[in-house]
Amino acid sequence: MGIDGAYPLLFVIWLVPLAGAIVNWAFGPQLKRSATIIGSAAIGIPFVATLMAWNAATQSSGAAVGAHQNLFSWMPGFDFGLLLDPLSLIWALIITGVGFLIHAYSVGYMWSDSAIARFFAYMNFFVFAMLTLVLSDNFVGLLVGWGLVGLASYFLIGFWFFKPVAVAAARKAFVINVVGDVAIMFAIFMMFAKIGSITFANVFAHVGALDGWLFWTCLFLFIGAAAKSAQIPLHTWLPDAMEGPTPVSALIHAATMVTAGVYLVARCWPLWNASHSAQLLVGTIGGLTALAGALLGIAQWDIKRILAYSTMSQIGYMIMGVGVGAYQAGVAHFFTHAFFKACLFLGAGIVIHELADEQDIRRMGGMRSRAPVAFFAMFAAVLAISGFPGFAGFFSKDQVVFGALEHGHPWLYAVGIVTAGITAYYMFRLFFVTFFGTYRGDVDPEHEPARGESHAPAWIMALPVAILGIFSVIAGYAMIGSNPPWSRLFAHTFPSENLPPVAIGEGWTTAILFVVMAAGIAIAYARYATPVALANAPARLRLESERMPAVLVRLFYFDDVIDWLFVKPSLALGRFFGSWFDPDFIDGAVRGLVTLSTELAAVVRYFQNGLLRSYALIVVFGAACFAIYYALQGTVR
Amino acid sequence: MALVLILLPILAGCALFALPRGDRLWSRVIGCAVAALTFELPLLVGNDGAFAVRWLSRPFTASLHFAWSGVSLWLVLLLALCTFCAIVATNVAQTRTLIALLLLLEGTMMGVFTARDILAFALFWDLMLIPPFFALVEWGTHRETAWRFLIYNFSGGLTLLLATAAFGILSGSTDVIGSTHQFAGSWAPWIFAGFAFAFAVKTPLWPLHTWMPATYADSPPPMVAVISAVQSKAGLYGFIVIALPCLRTAMADWRWLIIALALVSLLYGAFIALTQTDTKRIVAYSSLSHLGLIVLAIASFNPVALQGAVVYIVAHGLFSAALFLILGYMEEREETRSISKLGGIGANNPKLAGAFTIAALAALGLPGLAGFAGEIVILTGVFKAGYLWPALIALVPIVIASAYMLRLLQDAINGPVIATLPQRRDLTFAEALAVAPLLAALLFIGIYPHAILTAVLR
Repeated sequence: MGIDGAYPLLFVIWLVPLAGAIVNWAFGPQLKRSATIIGSAAIGIPFVATLMAWNAATQSSGAAVGAHQNLFSWMPGFDFGLLLDPLSLIWALIITGVGFLIHAYSVGYMWSDSAIARFFAYMNFFVFAMLTLVLSDNFVGLLVGWGLVGLASYFLIGFWFFKPVAVAAARKAFVINVVGDVAIMFAIFMMFAKIGSITFANVFAHVGALDGWLFWTCLFLFIGAAAKSAQIPLHTWLPDAMEGPTPVSALIHAATMVTAGVYLVARCWPLWNASHSAQLLVGTIGGLTALAGALLGIAQWDIKRILAYSTMSQIGYMIMGVGVGAYQAGVAHFFTHAFFKACLFLGAGIVIHELADEQDIRRMGGMRSRAPVAFFAMFAAVLAISGFPGFAGFFSKDQVVFGALEHGHPWLYAVGIVTAGITAYYMFRLFFVTFFGTYRGDVDPEHEPARGESHAPAWIMALPVAILGIFSVIAGYAMIGSNPPWSRLFAHTFPSENLPPVAIGEGWTTAILFVVMAAGIAIAYARYATPVALANAPARLRLESERMPAVLVRLFYFDDVIDWLFVKPSLALGRFFGSWFDPDFIDGAVRGLVTLSTELAAVVRYFQNGLLRSYALIVVFGAACFAIYYALQGTVR
Repeated sequence: MALVLILLPILAGCALFALPRGDRLWSRVIGCAVAALTFELPLLVGNDGAFAVRWLSRPFTASLHFAWSGVSLWLVLLLALCTFCAIVATNVAQTRTLIALLLLLEGTMMGVFTARDILAFALFWDLMLIPPFFALVEWGTHRETAWRFLIYNFSGGLTLLLATAAFGILSGSTDVIGSTHQFAGSWAPWIFAGFAFAFAVKTPLWPLHTWMPATYADSPPPMVAVISAVQSKAGLYGFIVIALPCLRTAMADWRWLIIALALVSLLYGAFIALTQTDTKRIVAYSSLSHLGLIVLAIASFNPVALQGAVVYIVAHGLFSAALFLILGYMEEREETRSISKLGGIGANNPKLAGAFTIAALAALGLPGLAGFAGEIVILTGVFKAGYLWPALIALVPIVIASAYMLRLLQDAINGPVIATLPQRRDLTFAEALAVAPLLAALLFIGIYPHAILTAVLR
């Protein structure tokens, strides 16, 4: 049974989170902690509705999913509607499903925060905005969602608005994302001008009408995707965004919002399929981002920043996948990544909570016994992100990397393999340094302030982490075997291609991937988890931080270059215009004009001096002039 | 009926001077009632409500002809709404006098927006400069600012009058607004230049803007809310209803110059707003930038862009009125306008912070609020008209706008609470009531901008 035509549940999926946000925002001061129930229910209900849609869509093979609902005409020529097809369904499933688990976790994590109702209002609003993004049937609706998720992200990064660092991070994230927003706007101009419509269906049916503009449309759409999905060089906001509460990092800056770029490219596959230069560009940027994120992950000490760079790197994989044309693989990696990355963040949140907001892994260690649930769940997730066979990330990463080879990009394939090794290394580095050895910090385990203040039961945070840990193992099995639900769902979504066979088979590339990954784990083990390393951990970690290459510590100088190229010149220009050019030059010219006219007035005033004799003189002078004039005229004639 | 819109506020404004100097209650009640009536009247009466009498027969025919329809209607509604909000928010030493000036301003501007005759338009154009002038004299810190405002804008009024006279003599009648009358000929470029100068000063358009920052910074907040929100639109309105239809060919000849000046305004205002420290000056320069976008839309001669321009005119009116009122509240509470001294207000003033956030987000073009609807439709039209580079360049100020608006917003309401600032209570009922309709309208138009066009296109 498929889903077709109008589908009333769409409104439940789309609007219930908004209702939750409004209630929590308007009645927050009265609701206090009851807001957690409303906030979680507002995501749980759409999740159930989405599950029903998923069941209907995957029950039989060859099922069609294409629920469509017209809404209203926003402006002449700009018609809004909702669309639930396999692609938006899979996103909606993650947004509401993982979103619900993270909301439940937040009940415990934010329990002692006095602004908990505001937190849930923002979180619900985010889910609404993200659903707007993925359920829109047109580019402007998508852009509205695109901007609103940016706003939710801004609110939540700066949730603790009394912290100047958080405020600055929120602003940076917002401004960089506006760069992406206006780029998508420009792509819309081109589509509207050449095709005359902004709905996906019309645009994709008339890709040919874009002719010379096709590459530029793709390019500008991708700038938008890159800003949202933290692709080079627009990624610098993502690590800073970790200033927000940890559940925010898990939901927005790992599982859902930052994958919007992947959604956009996958959604616009007819555009990309028609432009090979655009495919090459996107694939290359994705590959580079995967590599750069992984390299930067090596050099970080803040547990959330390591995870932020790993997010950037994994989204690089997804972008590479959808960029080269392996759309299903890219989307699959989004699906598995949502589980294991949310699991990693929430597990890290438990550790951070346990250690009174300590985030530096050098001052952790031995957390295995103090946070056992986080330990086991994160172990599964670390294996999954590394691509260990049998774990969720393995299936999808293998598909992406092989997809790059299949579509004729051996270099991107090589980058994907190398990155997989680095990923295994830095993720196990995080895992070993955090959970093994002995505790190196100074938070007294007997008197934990964090646990003491929070009266929420511990299971409310542990359970979502455990569930996500389980999914980090099993999520990949939705896409293997004969006729799995995944293939049934995406049977008709993406183009089927007949690709030429590659020199080495998929079995071999999987083996290569495994060897490289195992090497990464082995190096991490040798450096951080051997008995010798554990015994001298403090000294060794100190030494490592001192010897860290500057290029990694300074994050490949991206921030500095952006600062020098854009921020500093803009401010200098503003100061030049504002403090000299405007008041002195332009207004100076105006004042000069005023002075000139007063001077002229003074000259004229000289003759109006009230003296009868001088008037008489002027009259005589004038009469003389006339007389001379007529006399001369007479002679000439 | 249109005459009522003009005379009622003017007469009420004059009548307020009969009240005792220190009166607060009655002047507010009367002011609010009059503003509310002028808002309701066009909605109740429906389209047009024309009034016309012959005024002049030689050397050209002119009428006192007033009506509302299309763009006029929205400006009339915007003006009435902003006046209402400004009167509710008025809280100065001489409430009565300021409310009286606001009513006089409303009446004279109603004349500008409903005039169907260019001569009547020009007459009210000059009259509408008087109330802000007296407000600047009374409440401003520098007498010079008031004179600068008056003389600069009167010089525009002078060229407007000269152009009107020339137009009337050469075409026989000035009763042409809203008709399909087109004027061409050797004098057309000069007449257009006369109109354009007046409109460009009032909007303002770079480089004729230097009267504006000081005026906006120095006027009392309710007055600046109305002049930035509505009076600045008089120039744009003039471009739309006089220059665009009546002097089409002349304007088409000048369009590259206008587009260039609009783009310079867009960028120039944005860059300056990025570095100013006075809260009102930041919004003043942002206005320069935002209004450049509307001029760009008009000069592109594209119907889609023009639809966007109308939406953006209303949107800008709403958010700039809200912003200036809120900045006024903040100045009153914290006794400073310097953002380097402000900070942490949001912690104890959540309502103020919430209202400020919505207004600032609308100003920076957040999707879902009115500003975005105007921006994207304008630029879609500009691009469709073939102006690739102007459309691309106009995107840059949108990015900068997010930077300066967030700087203004965050530096004021976020960060740690500053102990040296006075700690006052959150928005009062009247203060909240004054901005609530503006913010609600921003949200409504953002979600359903089509509502504005259905009336305009009719």
